[in-house]
Formats: sequence, structure tokens, C-alpha cells
Amino acid sequence: MRRLRALEPLAWVGPAVVLIALVVLWPVIEMIRSSFLKISRFGVVQGSNGFANYEKLFGEKDFADIMVRSVIWVIAVVALTVLISLALAQLFNQRFPLRKVARWALIAPWAASVLMTAIIFKWMLDPEVGVINQIRLKLGLIDAMGGASADQLGDAATAMPWLVFVAVFVSVPFTTYALLAGLATIPADVYEAAKMDGAGRFRTYWSITLPLLRPALTVAALINVMNVFNSFPIIWAMTHGQPGYSTATSTILMFILKGSNIGESAAMSVVNFGMVIILTAIFLKVSRWNKEVA
Amino acid sequence: MLVRLIPQGGVRQLVRTSDPPDEKAVSPVNMKLVGGAALGLAAMLVLSSCGSGGSGGSGGDDKASGGGQVTLKMVAADYGDGPGKPNSGETFWKGVTDEFTKANPNIKVDVQVINWNDIDKQVATMVQNGQVPDILQTGDYSGFVKDQLLYKVDEVLSPNVSGDMLQKFAEFGKVDGTAYGIPFVSSARALFYNKDLFEKAGIAEPPKTWDELKADAEKLKKAGVTQPFGLPLGQEEAQGESFLWMLGNGGGYKDASGKWTINSPQNVETFTYMKGLVDAGLTTPNPGTKDRKTVWEDFGAGKVGMVNGGPMSIPIFDAAGLKNYGVAPIPGKTGPLDTTLGVMDWIMAFNKNGHAAEIKKFFDFFYTGDAAQKISDTYKLLPVTNGGIKKLEGDEKLKPFLDALPNASFYPFQDPKWAEVNPAIKQTIGGAVKDDPAKVLGELQKTAESAG
Amino acid sequence: MTVNTMRPPATRPRQHVRPVARRGMPRLKTVVVAAAAYVVALIFLFPYVVMLLTSLRAQDSLREVTFWPKEWVWSNLANFWSSGLAGNLWVTLKVAGGSTLLVLLVALPAAYYSARHHFRGRTAFLILVLVTQMFQPTAMLVGIYREFFQFGLVDSTWSLILVNAGFNLAFAVWILNAYFASIPRELEEAAFIDGNGRFGALFRITLPLAMPGVITALIFTFIAAWNEFVVALTLTTTPENQPLTVALNSFIGQYQVDWQNLFAGSVIATIPVIILFALIERKVVGGLTAGSIK
Repeated sequence: MRRLRALEPLAWVGPAVVLIALVVLWPVIEMIRSSFLKISRFGVVQGSNGFANYEKLFGEKDFADIMVRSVIWVIAVVALTVLISLALAQLFNQRFPLRKVARWALIAPWAASVLMTAIIFKWMLDPEVGVINQIRLKLGLIDAMGGASADQLGDAATAMPWLVFVAVFVSVPFTTYALLAGLATIPADVYEAAKMDGAGRFRTYWSITLPLLRPALTVAALINVMNVFNSFPIIWAMTHGQPGYSTATSTILMFILKGSNIGESAAMSVVNFGMVIILTAIFLKVSRWNKEVA
Repeated sequence: MLVRLIPQGGVRQLVRTSDPPDEKAVSPVNMKLVGGAALGLAAMLVLSSCGSGGSGGSGGDDKASGGGQVTLKMVAADYGDGPGKPNSGETFWKGVTDEFTKANPNIKVDVQVINWNDIDKQVATMVQNGQVPDILQTGDYSGFVKDQLLYKVDEVLSPNVSGDMLQKFAEFGKVDGTAYGIPFVSSARALFYNKDLFEKAGIAEPPKTWDELKADAEKLKKAGVTQPFGLPLGQEEAQGESFLWMLGNGGGYKDASGKWTINSPQNVETFTYMKGLVDAGLTTPNPGTKDRKTVWEDFGAGKVGMVNGGPMSIPIFDAAGLKNYGVAPIPGKTGPLDTTLGVMDWIMAFNKNGHAAEIKKFFDFFYTGDAAQKISDTYKLLPVTNGGIKKLEGDEKLKPFLDALPNASFYPFQDPKWAEVNPAIKQTIGGAVKDDPAKVLGELQKTAESAG
Repeated sequence: MTVNTMRPPATRPRQHVRPVARRGMPRLKTVVVAAAAYVVALIFLFPYVVMLLTSLRAQDSLREVTFWPKEWVWSNLANFWSSGLAGNLWVTLKVAGGSTLLVLLVALPAAYYSARHHFRGRTAFLILVLVTQMFQPTAMLVGIYREFFQFGLVDSTWSLILVNAGFNLAFAVWILNAYFASIPRELEEAAFIDGNGRFGALFRITLPLAMPGVITALIFTFIAAWNEFVVALTLTTTPENQPLTVALNSFIGQYQVDWQNLFAGSVIATIPVIILFALIERKVVGGLTAGSIK
């Protein structure tokens, strides 16, 4: 009987652990293993490769640039997403007619697949017929369709901001919703009290709303960090990391390598993992530090 | 090879890059257990799909059909627009095999058509599971030679058929002097030009040399054409477009002795010339990011003056509503190319089921009958036999391709390093018309020399 | 690492959202707020409007500079059914539905038990869940493929259900755990004493109270599985077994793209999700609140 009780947690929690182990942890181990193997293009294991895959990866001409760009990409996208979402959450938390419908519109990028959103943006940025270029033409920002000035995705300097824009575009809905949820938990009397104290609107937001939003903000930002770091369809569909590797992030490099060198690609995945874990740890640390100060 | 070397763009590329890690030892117990569990759960959830079991499973009962009756199992790539479409591979092969069985009542051919994205993965799975087909038609044969899975060509093809093959093509079917791969269909490239735009710009004839090309491009630009020359050097097709230009200056990826020559003086000169075109705004803007599909779409819409294309682009341009265009040999530095980029697909026979005699009958039937001709007509692919070329000679738009075909040049796809060099070219060679050509080509040369 | 909630959902003051925007404020402000919100909503809808309009254009007019279709080719939408994509839609439905169901079956007991009981390994379990949250299938394709290949489960709907369930499990457990923890134990015990039995109390009292959390977890899993692309692309090979996201790529041909059909398919794929989302939008906002770490 007592032994049965000891097994009780297993019955409740066990299936979840099994599923995670099977689907998430196993591939991780498999991947780490692969990163030390020599694997042919067709997937045949040709024996151990020691650290050669890693050496080759670190030796890639563009590796350093790509890693730096990946980190900047994550920080830029997440920071912009959070800032814009804070504003939008505030806006959509106001009362106005048809608020519900307006909120539904916000759902669209969340409900649509990221890949399709990226493809439609590429379509809208087409230098010959893209609607964004038509608008820019009407506004006098470009002289003609089809030229180099209409080709925003052709040059890293203009392509990168667009990639960030699309990444923010697809991340904002979830973040805004999380923050709206956070706002909904702030009791009305807190505001009443602040008003009685004569706090201005900005002060109220800064010293009451924001601290109370912190948990929701942390969750939303954390999920964004992990998603964005691995976000792949946007860059893949819009620029494929080109020209050269100048808009590629580490995940894109991993995919390109997957076509020619599976072991090196696995090594890239492992490095990628390390980066996500470090970024997440830093993030958690920073957000906790915030809490202590506040 | 047609598809593998003419890679698809964007998301499609993904599939190709996820080659199957082929684990040699798949424990059958494991599979049964998991498979059984999956089956139970699947039934529970009323999942009606049957997974891959259906496609792979049928291979097993080949030998069961005794009594002199032989069933050949064939796997073929789909040149059509997919299942259900009027030009689907299933429809095509059904026509061929029905006729063959009518002529040879005791041989049946079961054809499984698989799309290009998946065929490599699927075949690898079949081979690992021991469900090897008798005949395979796909983009590469060389991977199977090492494992001694294939019949030699002379075991399954009559001398009169193999003698009719284009010599240069058949050469590439050999590994260490022995032929294993049989050329199946081919394709080539030539210059397409928009006659209306040429007229508008006051150009009488398509250019033959680079100087003429540049002069014509300038005229087109003056006439308001946004992309006088369509230049796709993005990841989809950069290796093909680049090769065509290299050929125009006597260059290439390798020299005659088989040494990599990506950064040879000729190639650097070639890309310097191309960079001049790009800088003058005479090409597609930022070629290093442009896919062939997009440039062809623009040519079809009358926004591009000239572009390199293949027979397969004819129906595309026609469908886009472009009527008045011509096809000419590709201009080289001092004169039009007498060669072109040739690509070909292969057919091969596996020796596991021991059906050499029946396979031979089928192959001979295919090449000597009108089936080979039919596949060219249906899919705008080029033949690989001298006889086949003769039959198509009347077609004016195909003529530039057919003329160049016997002397075609090929990618160094037999070099195992090509598998690593090719993706690198696709990703970075566009930089050679933007930055320093010598530097970009030098990097690629380094990759080629160190890869492996 | 404790997972917790800010406030019991049962007592959430949902009705007063923000007092600042309540009656007595000048109407001008409402107008400005509403206008801003509508503009934002339009921006978020715009790409999908372009998608819809493009999907109604004729193939040979795609490279014309125009916003509105010159002729409305409604048959592009109908092509979806004739091109056999309905079968792929069914696969998508099975994958999304199956993995949502699986997540529900596995996550509910695990989340409930770990919220109510302090058993050995509880902390380890919650850390496992948090860590899993960091893993994205995109980054570990090599491992996933190799694992399922060993299982002989490549190219089956079942493998997609497993992967989607596995990678979304963490989020579900996370949210549900916080939700269960926020429901006062006394409520459940009272019902237990009333003779409902342990499971009776769970199903009559706790589960209904946790419904917003359950729905949030479900909708997240469902949308993620519905739009999942990269894993499906790697794990499915035969056209009949591919979910819609992958099958749509058959419109991206070797030499040309059927933009209008591609976009028509995407529109059709997105609409059900938006409707579903709109139906339960309020619950999602409620459900997200609980999933915050302290």
C-alpha cells in the first residue's frame, strides 16, 4: 500500500516526463552526438570526428559576424516587440467602440503562419510590383519601380530593418495579449489611490502599472527571446541570409550547412543552444535583479 | 540531376537540405514495438492516414508473383505538376507501361512516382529497408555504385541503344570506366530575348559578344526597360548562371585536368565584366539576392530584355502571355557559345531482384519506341540520343538548345566536393558582382580546395 | 523556481479594466484612442488583405503594378479543393487536434499534481518544464529526424502529433500549474468533504475554475501545431501525409510560383484559426494572466 502511494506521482507526472524525454531530450542528445560524428551528405555515419566539426564551424569566414548578428537580432526584435506591445496594450485596454473587433485584427499575425507572413512581406517588397514600393513611389520616396532603390531586400543595410520589422510584427500580438492579460489583473483601487495621491499619468504608469506588469512582461519577453533566436522562416523566406551571409543568423547558417555537412550543422545547433541558454540565463538574472531593486 | 542541380528556391530548398541520416542498423524489434504502439494509438484517434507503410510495403511481394510472370518495380521522379495534374508522372508512366505490357504480356511494370523533393529520401529508406526497386529514375546514380547495387549498363541495355547515346552524356554515366548510369533526359540553356523590347530599343539582332550585349543593354535601358539583362545570382540558381558566364570566357569551375579553377584569371575577368553591367544598372538590381523564378516572371511580364533560360521556360513565358520572344545562342566574350550548360537525369537498374533480362526489354522499349520522344514533348525536356535530337530538329525555339547539346558542358558533379562547393557558390558568388570579384572567387576556390 | 500566479482567477476583477478611461472623460479622447486603435488594427490586417487580394488575381496579371485585381478570379479559392489540398487540411486538422488532445491528457494531471502535492522530484520536474520551454524544434531538426527515423515513424501523422505535443507541453504545464495553484485548496476540500470524492471534486470544482487556463493552453498548442512548418517539412515525405503548411509549397514550383494559389491556400488555412481565436479571445486574455513566474 505504501509502495503504491510512492508511485502515485509517477502516475500523474510520469506521462509528461516521458513525452518530454522522448520528443525533446532525445533529439537533443542525438544532436549533440551527431556534432561529434562524421556524417556523409546522405546521412551515412562515417565514424567519429572528434572536434573537427566544431573546428570547421569556427573556421567559417562568416561565423563571427553571424553570431554577433544573431545576438543583435534577438535583442533588437525583443526590445522593439516589448516596447511596441506595451504601448499597444495600453491602447487596446482603453474603452472605445468596436474594441473587440480591433483586437481581433491584432490576432491575424498570430493566427497566420510565420512563413506565410514572411512570404507575403517579400511579395509586398517586390521591386517590380510590390505594393509597399507602389506606396513608396506615390510618396515620392523612390523614382521608379524596378530599380535598385526599390529593391529593399537586395542590400543588407535595408533588408535587415525589414527583417526586424517582420519579426516584430509577428511577435507583437502574443506579447500584447500577454500584457493585456497583465493589465486586467491590476485592481482598479490601485489607480484610485494613485489618483488621490495626485500622481500624474506618466508617474502612475511608471511606478504602478509597470511594476505590476513585470511578471507578465517577464514571461512574454522570455518566450520572445527563445522564439526569436530560433525564428527561422522570416529570414529564410525573405532573404535566405543573402546577399552572401550578410543577413544570416546562426539558425540560417545551420540550415545551409545541413545541405552539405550534417555534422557541422549539428555543431552549429549545439552552439545555438548554448547561446539560447546563456541569453535566457542573463535575461532571468536581469529581470530578477530588477525585482530586487524595485 | 536536373532538379538537384537546378535547385528550387526559398522554402523548397529546405527539403533538399534535409537529407536522410541513414542509420544502417534499425533494430526491427524497436520498430515493431513503436510501430505497434503507434498503430494502436492511431486507431484510437481514428487516424485514417497510413503513413509511409503504404508506399514502402508494396515492394515486398514482388517475388511472390510466380508462374513466369515478372513484375518490375520502378521508382520515378515526377516531371509534371504533381499527382492529379494532367501531366502527372503517374499518367505518363501508366501510358508507357500499359503499352509495354501489351507487347510483353508476361512482364508487368509497377511505377511509383515520387516528387523531386522527396525521391532521394524515399529511395534511401527503401534501400535501407531492403525494398530495393528494380528500376530507378532520378537525378543521380553514383551514390549506389559504391555499394554495388546497380547492374552495369551493358547488362541491361542493348548495344544499339547505348551506341546512340550522346557520347559526352554517356561518359558521365561511368564510374572508374564502367558505365552504371543511363542518361534519361537532359536540358540545356540558351539566351531568350524579348523581340518587342528589342524593336523598341532599335536592336535588330540578339547580341553575339559581350560588347554587343552591353551596347544592347544600354539601348534597352534608354528605352525604359528596368532590367535590360535578367541576372539571377541568388541562392536558387547562382551556380548555373555563373557557369554560363564562365563558359563565355573559356572558364569554368574546373579545368581539363580536373583542378578547381573558380578564381582563374578568366573567371575573374568574367565577373569583373558582369560587375560592370550591374554597376551601370543594366541588370536585375542586386543580382546576388535574386532567384531565377522571379527574373523569369519578370521576363514573362515584359520587364526584362534578355535572360538565360531553358526549354522548360518556354511554356512559362507562353503562359505569362509573352508572345514575341526569340531564342539564341548565349553570347560569349568574343562570340556566341558553341557549348552550353547541360544537365541530365539518369535511369538505372538495381541488381538485387535479378531481373536483368526483363529490365533490358523495358529499357530497349523505352528508348527505341516513342516513349522517350513523348517525355520530351510533354515536359519540354531534351533527348539524350542522337536519334531523339533528329526528331526535334524542326522546332525553331529548341534549335539553339539542340545545336549546343552534343557539346554541352557539365557541372563537376562527380567530384564529391561539389556537394559542399555548390551550396557555397549559391550563397556567396553573387558577391562577386558587388564586391571584389577576385576576393569572392578566391574564397570559393579555398572552399573547393579544402572541402572534403 | 516557483511557478505561481498573481491572483486567484476566481476573484479577478475583470469588469473594471481601467478607471482612467471611464465615463466623464472627454469624448475627444475616445475618438483619438479609437482612431489610433483602428489604424493599428489596419496595419496588422494589411498584409493579409494583400494576401487575399493577390489570391484573387489572374496568374498572368501577377506582375502588373496594381493593388486591386483587374478581374476577380474567385476560382483560385476553389482551386484549393480541386488541387487535393483538402486532404492536407485534414492532416493539419488531425495533427493540430491530436497534439492538442495529447497535451491535454498529459499536461492536466501533471500540472494539477505538481500544483497540489509536494512530492520528491517536483522541483526537478518544474525545472525540466522550464528548460524544455527553451528548446525549439527548429534548432534540433537533425536530432528529431534521426530519432524518428530510428523509430520508423518518419512520414506519419503520428510523429507530427508527438513532436507538436512534446514541444508545446512545457507551456501548457506551466500555465496550468499556475492556474491550479491559484485555486484555493479549501474549495476543493469542501467539495471532497461533501462526498464528491477526490476525482469528483477535481472535475466539479477545480477543472471548471481552471477553464480559462485550460483553454489558453489548448489554443496555444492548437495554433502552434496548426502553423508548424519546419518539422513537418522534415518528417513528411509523401504528399498525402503532409500538413497544409508543407503542401502549400507545392505551389512554389521548380521554375515558377503560383502566387495566387499559394496565397489562396494560406487564406483558407488562416481563417479557421482566426475564427477560433476570436471566439475565445476573452478567455485567452484571462488565461495568460496566470502563467507568470515569480
